[in-house]
Amino acid sequence: MASLKPKAVEQNITRNPLKWFDDRLPLVSLINNSVGRNFPAPKNLNYMWNFGSLAGIALVIQILTGLFLAMHYKADVALAFDSVQHIMRNVQWGWLIRNLHMVGASFFFIVVYVHMARGLYYGSYKSPREVLWGIGVIIFLIMMATAFMGYVLPWGQMSYWGATVITNLLSVIPFVGDEVVVWIWGGYSVGDPTLTRFYALHFLLPFVIVGIVILHIWALHEHKSNNPTGLDLQDEKDFIPFHPYYTVKDIFGLGVYLIAFALMVFYAPDYLGHTDNYIPANPLVTPAHIVPEWYFLPFYAILRAIPIKELGVVAMFGSILILFVLPWLDSSRVRSARYRPLYRSLYWVFLLNFLVLGWVGSKPPEGIYVLIARFATAYYFLFFALLPVVARVEKTRKLPKTIDEA
Amino acid sequence: MRMFVLLLGLLFPLAVAAGEGPAIAKQDWGFDGLHGQYDKATVYRGYQVFTQVCMACHSAKYVSHADLDRAGFTPEEIAALAKSMNLTTTDKLVSGLAPADAQEVYGKVPPDLSVITKARAGLADYTYAVLTGYSDDVEALAHAFPNSEVPAGAYFNTAFAGYAIAMPNPLPNADMVTYTDGTPATVPQMAHDVTVFLQWAAEPELIERKHLGVYVLLFLAIFTLLAYLTKKAIWRDVH
Repeated sequence: MASLKPKAVEQNITRNPLKWFDDRLPLVSLINNSVGRNFPAPKNLNYMWNFGSLAGIALVIQILTGLFLAMHYKADVALAFDSVQHIMRNVQWGWLIRNLHMVGASFFFIVVYVHMARGLYYGSYKSPREVLWGIGVIIFLIMMATAFMGYVLPWGQMSYWGATVITNLLSVIPFVGDEVVVWIWGGYSVGDPTLTRFYALHFLLPFVIVGIVILHIWALHEHKSNNPTGLDLQDEKDFIPFHPYYTVKDIFGLGVYLIAFALMVFYAPDYLGHTDNYIPANPLVTPAHIVPEWYFLPFYAILRAIPIKELGVVAMFGSILILFVLPWLDSSRVRSARYRPLYRSLYWVFLLNFLVLGWVGSKPPEGIYVLIARFATAYYFLFFALLPVVARVEKTRKLPKTIDEA
Repeated sequence: MRMFVLLLGLLFPLAVAAGEGPAIAKQDWGFDGLHGQYDKATVYRGYQVFTQVCMACHSAKYVSHADLDRAGFTPEEIAALAKSMNLTTTDKLVSGLAPADAQEVYGKVPPDLSVITKARAGLADYTYAVLTGYSDDVEALAHAFPNSEVPAGAYFNTAFAGYAIAMPNPLPNADMVTYTDGTPATVPQMAHDVTVFLQWAAEPELIERKHLGVYVLLFLAIFTLLAYLTKKAIWRDVH
């Protein structure tokens, strides 16, 4: 039990106002312990470790720009498309806010994908960070749901047909599938009730993500960051305080990120979007190819690779859910891929294969593309299936004693 | 680490959607690139083509004369242009052809053209390609349709997916409009000008966007450089 002995509490508010306040509500201490001088971080983190804080910033950018868009957007099938044009043309800085939000969504995914790929490479999901990793997967899932619903809001052709295709997937749920789909739509097709509830949820879920991100950071603080060597760090000299070392490094990383971000926002805002979404939604005209946003393409490819619809849906959701059990699939005691030659090779093939899935997901499901999608899907799951075997047969490199030796 | 960066670079081309239908030739546009601009004279010529030809059937329901100030038109010019069409400066550019009538005559309601250059793969190049894609070349026709016959009610167009478009050639010959600046109104010229006008209609903010972008990037470059130097200074005792 914590000591109940009274601390030396500052009584004079004018002598040291900050300490006076902190003695009553330790807000300053909280910040200091979370991202300040009192949070020890391994001194050997490379730039791949920038993407965690970048993801946090990307989330804040989405929430802020989204808030201002919400002040002008109309969630009504008769007005939604018009209101987006109203934002682009008549709202003061509306075009900038919308471009930031639109490009920001894509960049958020890029950052999160890199963040996950880093965790996968350096074994950051391994004990004792399984819960930290699992919370991350939950964030990823909610983020995907949020992005999906956000893409429906402009009510263009891809909004409408993307929503129709994806919500229809739930019809594979045994016995109640069709009822579930009608319940989600709020009618017998995607329509006004769907749009309004997607809007409500699109506004709510980012705040749910914020809450879970706090848990994610909490779990991170329990065992501190992993590091490129994957070694358990005990020695105090292996650590440096988060502030100023990593705050300044993250600020530099943020600058680089914002340059790439600004290039897209100002010079190619629609590059990652689809032209069909500038055609107002029309339930009577189906687009030639219905494709989701680029960040869903790998999973879309898995869905379509399997000829049986039910299995395709299971595989698609399974391809993400399998990340939850990754810490138990990979039983190797060595964390970092640096010292795992076999895992390392499989890892790079996995990453390349993931890009292939994304590429093939943008292609029509015919001819050679189907074949490529099937092979890539097979490897996606094979990678996870091989992990227990790899852990057993792999001859790992000799681990350094300390990070200075590495 | 290096491999991560490499793969990140590979991510972007992924986003390019699969091309479809006839190949669309790339054109040089004044609004392309880092210093993209709308040339006022071109926008005005395109405005003439749009209001005198396209607007017989098509609307641009998000666009009014007042918006022309973003292409450098003065309030006096805007007022005069609107007045000559019996419109107020804030009236939208709506065609006199009722949708129901259009349906009857053309079998299709002509799409609103406000964002047309953003709504088709190929963007502005596509708009230009369709406008200049009408052809009576017998060989091309035979190539597209084995019996050399375009489906009833449609017109042969080399740039349109399926080669049969419901829109009759809007620019069948030169001098559909009389340019006030003396530019010869050839078909490619009119197609070019009206495409620039439509691009402006779709993205009137483009000039402000590209202009502001330069300053934002300049600021970020300095910010990032200073952040880098600060980082190096603070980390000196660790490395």
